[in-house]
Amino acid sequence: MKHLLLPALALLSFGTASAQSTCATALPIGIGLHTVAAINGTQPASPLCIGAASSMANWYRFTATVDTAMQVTSYLSGYPTVDTRVHVYTGNCGALTCLAADDDTGPGYSSICNFSVTAGVTYTIVFDNYWTANGFTFGLLEMAPPTPPVELINFGSTSIATSGIGALDMNNDGLDDIVGVSANAVTILKQLATGGFQTTTIMTTTAVHTPSWSFAAGDLDGNGWNDMIYGGGQGATIMFATSDGSGFTQFNFPGNPYIFCQRTNMVDLENDGDLDGFSCHDVDANVAFVNDGSGNLTFTQGGYGPTCGNYGSLWTDWDNDGDQDLFIAKCGCDPVDQIMRNNGDGTFTEMNVALGFADSHQSWSSAWGDFDNDGDMDVLIGASSSGYHKLMRNNGNSTFTNVTAGSGIDNFTGQSIEWTTHDFNNDGWLDIHGGGGILVNNGDMTFTLDNTVPGNGPVADLNNDGFLDIVNGSTLRLNEPNENNWMRVRLIGTVSNKSAIGARITITTASGSQIREIRSGDGFRYMSTLYAHFGLGTDEEVLQMSIRWPSGIVQVIEDPAINILHTITEELQTSVAEAPGADVCVFPVPAIDQLTVTGIPANTLVRVIDAAGRSVINTTLGNNRIDVSALTTGTYVLEAITSEGRIVRTFSKE
Amino acid sequence: MLRHSVRPLALITLLALVALAACTKEPLTGTPDEVITPEADAVVFDPATVPYPTLSAYKFFKGPMAQQRPVVSVLPYEPITPLFTDYAHKFRFVWMPPGVKATYNGDGNILDFPDGAVLIKTFYYDGVQPGNTRRIIETRLLFKRFGQWEFADYVWNAEQTEAYLDLNGSNTPVTWTDENGVTRTISYRIPAEAECHTCHKVSDEASPIGPKPQNMNSQYAFGDGVKNQLAKWVEQGYLQSGYPKNINTVVAWDDMTKPLDDRVRAYLDMNCAHCHTDLRHCSYRPMRFAWNENADPVNQGVCVQPDDPIEPSMTYIVARGNAARSMMHFRMSSNDEAVRMPLMGRTIVHQEAVDMIATWINSMPVPCN
Repeated sequence: MKHLLLPALALLSFGTASAQSTCATALPIGIGLHTVAAINGTQPASPLCIGAASSMANWYRFTATVDTAMQVTSYLSGYPTVDTRVHVYTGNCGALTCLAADDDTGPGYSSICNFSVTAGVTYTIVFDNYWTANGFTFGLLEMAPPTPPVELINFGSTSIATSGIGALDMNNDGLDDIVGVSANAVTILKQLATGGFQTTTIMTTTAVHTPSWSFAAGDLDGNGWNDMIYGGGQGATIMFATSDGSGFTQFNFPGNPYIFCQRTNMVDLENDGDLDGFSCHDVDANVAFVNDGSGNLTFTQGGYGPTCGNYGSLWTDWDNDGDQDLFIAKCGCDPVDQIMRNNGDGTFTEMNVALGFADSHQSWSSAWGDFDNDGDMDVLIGASSSGYHKLMRNNGNSTFTNVTAGSGIDNFTGQSIEWTTHDFNNDGWLDIHGGGGILVNNGDMTFTLDNTVPGNGPVADLNNDGFLDIVNGSTLRLNEPNENNWMRVRLIGTVSNKSAIGARITITTASGSQIREIRSGDGFRYMSTLYAHFGLGTDEEVLQMSIRWPSGIVQVIEDPAINILHTITEELQTSVAEAPGADVCVFPVPAIDQLTVTGIPANTLVRVIDAAGRSVINTTLGNNRIDVSALTTGTYVLEAITSEGRIVRTFSKE
Repeated sequence: MLRHSVRPLALITLLALVALAACTKEPLTGTPDEVITPEADAVVFDPATVPYPTLSAYKFFKGPMAQQRPVVSVLPYEPITPLFTDYAHKFRFVWMPPGVKATYNGDGNILDFPDGAVLIKTFYYDGVQPGNTRRIIETRLLFKRFGQWEFADYVWNAEQTEAYLDLNGSNTPVTWTDENGVTRTISYRIPAEAECHTCHKVSDEASPIGPKPQNMNSQYAFGDGVKNQLAKWVEQGYLQSGYPKNINTVVAWDDMTKPLDDRVRAYLDMNCAHCHTDLRHCSYRPMRFAWNENADPVNQGVCVQPDDPIEPSMTYIVARGNAARSMMHFRMSSNDEAVRMPLMGRTIVHQEAVDMIATWINSMPVPCN
């Protein structure tokens, strides 16, 4: 970027600032160089546009006379470099809004901060003493307008009242919230329909393990409120939401089994309608927390791959057969990634050699999404350290092709432990977030880097504008919307687990189809929204939305509205195609004391689920009859697992 | 059962002779109250049945076990620079079966130990509150059988009379006042077996960390006088003689008479190299902290950017002249278990070491950029 005015610097005013101690007494400055004797202003920079708080700051004010690009820089040829930090605000004192900030872009930890200005608007420029109070010289310069290589995705910057590790709807109002966790409290910033947040702090008993390595959420016990897994370095703690959602009850496993938790997830491991917990274990076999259907969890270990180097588990149906398969990004002592196919019976088959994933590289997480919108899950396995990224296209027949070469990712040198995928610009193509940038999907399996974006954190729509935002610690990075359309989908399971984790949503527009999965736990550390998000580009209409619930039930909605969040409750049976077991009959309906079931072999395991998704009867079918006398009046689902598959029937009880 | 001992009912007239033949590797000299009786030096180690349910079953110690007075065949040792573990004090001992000994395998490599070797490490605090007493928390064993090292950990009872095998891992609160009058409270971590393995592994095979010639080539006050530890091991029959005399030896990290760079290198070697070395837990990161590699500034992380931008303002692992911008200093100063380094073995900051690292970094001229 070229300094337009550098040749004329000698002619510019050269001010020595003095009255810059507070916002109210900010020193008016113009374009030119300005000397700071020392950072000694008494009003600290706030809100923080970058980093943590400091104690002192010097305040300056600039009013633009033309629309242009500006730069404030402490890196000036001929002047010593000093370790500075600068915030740039719009708005009045007491109601400042971050516009831009910089810490270390320049050599020697100097700051170079670019921003656009509008004629007539006043900007507040603040240098603080976070690193040093030493004096320096800075320039306020007019710049040639930037010509970005792609249309950049812009994010604002706002301080928030907690360090967010999760971003999801915690109070079931359809608005994503921000969750921060300490050993003794859960802080929830509840998104308000009117914008902004209401802070609620819920005290908890002191957590045996805190989520220092990862955090997952979902409704484990089916009571309608999100529970949480704290993945710690020596074990996992579960926080169950109370029946009214106002608090959390801590659960730890008997004997406090040792787990060096890495990625934690919630997933319905046996597809029995309730969520289980899962944790990668860095130094031993992976562990699962198996749910008995009532929210009682049992610790189990083994059955999910090797005993070493398990970092980033990601549950996805990569073979499109309706159950949850497992991918584990691996690092450290055994850095060969694992891709495990769900056999449909709760066991898994390792296929990394057959599918081309058995190479040794260091990765902590992977981004799974349908990057080419052809109806199956592709993957980027991102490098965490010197090594390479690997982009694998799903061929739709349970094979993959390495398409890294020529994708743009082959030349991308950024690396990180976090890799996720979302459509940040709502153009209908999933972008990849990691390595210090967003790899913007060009729609042809190539990607263009935007490295002006925030780092990884929990992702959700935190101002309900249909664009996905990012939480970076105590800073909210709101995605600045463009003209593209969108749609979001909130699913409530009934036969399936209540959070609908594992559900697949397919939408069709004039441009083609897109798929999303509901997941608990992507990337490495954070928990992002449980609501599916689709960018629609310029499409004005969604022709059809199809939901394949984990139960196998398929629900189709024609012509759903765009630019809204849809809330969809699982119907008790498939609305389009006939489920397996067409000859299975359940009678009488309504049932009184005995329910007769025909068409299912004797000794089949059957389960009755109430409308809240709770398992109320677990039994083996004998004499074709089930005693339902204890059930209260209402609608129920009978579920049987047979050789034909999972059979589901609805009945009512008088 | 193979017992390297005599039966308790052996004839009294044979006691001294049997003890010499079967157990002791030292002449029966010493102060009168140190005269060895067979019962006092009847270490029990049967490869088929270890680890035993109790620490006392090995008969490593004489008298009340809490006094940690080893029998003659159990030799105390001390690395020149120790691992920091939340300011815990440690007793360390080695024992080997009769007739076998370790061999030298390089200054910076673990001695090549024979099957049956046992490394014994007891963790304790003095000044434990209330009462200002000593509390022994655990005794960890590394023992070698069938060519492989294995772990055992014994957790001491409140009475300090016995310790019980427990490899499940647990926490126990400790409040103590140190010799400077500083009182600290921690949740002391007793490791699970997989935690032991995390640091004590090479290519996923268990291994000791401390007993390398470079860490042992120092004087130590044994019960019968001050001796070089390696020489004492030879004398005891625990080390094959003929090892090189010019051992590239670490310094004591807290020895202010030694060059700062060497003290830092010694500290990094003992506290960091068990992960940041080839084939170890974190070999995929660029640092190489072992004594024989860490004289190279690049291996120390000097002006090397961190792989993981866990805190973006930490621009280098070691930013010359600027500890506040150095990831090494940042991680050593953190107690967050996903940030702190070392990853395991501490829950509180080793402030004296952090201060040394800060002084070292800040003394480097010419910034990285």
